[in-house]
Amino acid sequence: MPNLSTVFSDVGYAHFLVLGAVLFAIGVGGVLLRRNALIIMMSIELMLNAGNLTILTFARMHGDLGGHSFAMIVMAVAAAEVAVGLAIVVAIFRGRRHVDVDRMNLLKH
Amino acid sequence: MTARVLTAILAVLFVVLAFDAGAAHAQGAVAPVDAKVGPAPDFDPPRSATTAGKTVSKRDSVASPAPGAPTNAAAKRTKGGMVFAFWGFAALTVLGSLFVITRRNLITAVMGMVGTFFALAALYMLLYAHFLAIIQMLVYAGAIMVLFVFVIMILNKPEDEPFALSGRVGKVLAGLATTYLVFRIGSVLIDVPSHVTIAQNAAPAKTAAGDDWGSTAAVGMNLFNDYLFPFEAVSLTLLIAVVGAIAIARPLKDDEPAAEAATTGGH
Repeated sequence: MPNLSTVFSDVGYAHFLVLGAVLFAIGVGGVLLRRNALIIMMSIELMLNAGNLTILTFARMHGDLGGHSFAMIVMAVAAAEVAVGLAIVVAIFRGRRHVDVDRMNLLKH
Repeated sequence: MTARVLTAILAVLFVVLAFDAGAAHAQGAVAPVDAKVGPAPDFDPPRSATTAGKTVSKRDSVASPAPGAPTNAAAKRTKGGMVFAFWGFAALTVLGSLFVITRRNLITAVMGMVGTFFALAALYMLLYAHFLAIIQMLVYAGAIMVLFVFVIMILNKPEDEPFALSGRVGKVLAGLATTYLVFRIGSVLIDVPSHVTIAQNAAPAKTAAGDDWGSTAAVGMNLFNDYLFPFEAVSLTLLIAVVGAIAIARPLKDDEPAAEAATTGGH
């Protein structure tokens, strides 16, 4: 366990990792709590960014540039995901006039 | 009204922090010079890790800094600025992401997202990931957020009830579950060796090609030498995603017959 008196003054890798964890948890909370499909997609973006922050911290820790390449690939995948996801949102909105995920229950009935 | 005040506070905080981070970085530029003159710096990634792409564990070198390394003296001067920058940008990141999931207005949520992404780019800078920081700004704040704003402009429908769990019990349950998640992840990550602080670390050693660690040239060499196949695969993924997005979002024939007739009836 780190020394509590220096936890604010000595910023180390653990701080970055915990920040990534907090960001990820906030993203999870957004996905669980909100009903708007757009907000849910933004929360997914938050989680991807938290993962990127963790990857880059580990890259700095181990001195391996492969983490940077991997983070860039994650960004490209996130861009692809946003493009397809927003297209789906627009297509759903065109037919139903809302993007409420709680009311998208066609497969349930 | 409160949203506007919060946005203004976030903007002012961001500008102040950006200036402070710039000053800290200018001071920190002294540290690598000292490191070259003296013995080995605290943090020295071997070249084989960057050239061969092997994930060799450097945990021991991280956990045991060389005593009396000359970087410590130079790093002490920059410590206050670096620590202040970290806490400020971390607060901005968390506040912006809380903004995203709590605001009812979608545009406000997107603006909080933009703040989060800029602060994350600054945190990447603190980790010496300069190229990734710029890419973060360009791709996320520049491209993805614009896409979100366009879609919100198209939809533009206020929500009746934005939160899914209506009962107080559900909200408490969700909050407890999220807190538990934070606690579990945090309790694992807090054991990571933290006595080597970021401020004590000078710039990492240069790569075999002589480029600065985390610069565009270094990341490019790594990406095109060791990770060429994933790079090509992800470019194909992007191409498929763009084609798929157009195919999904394209208006159907019975949706807008007038528009279809206008485009196809010309020739």
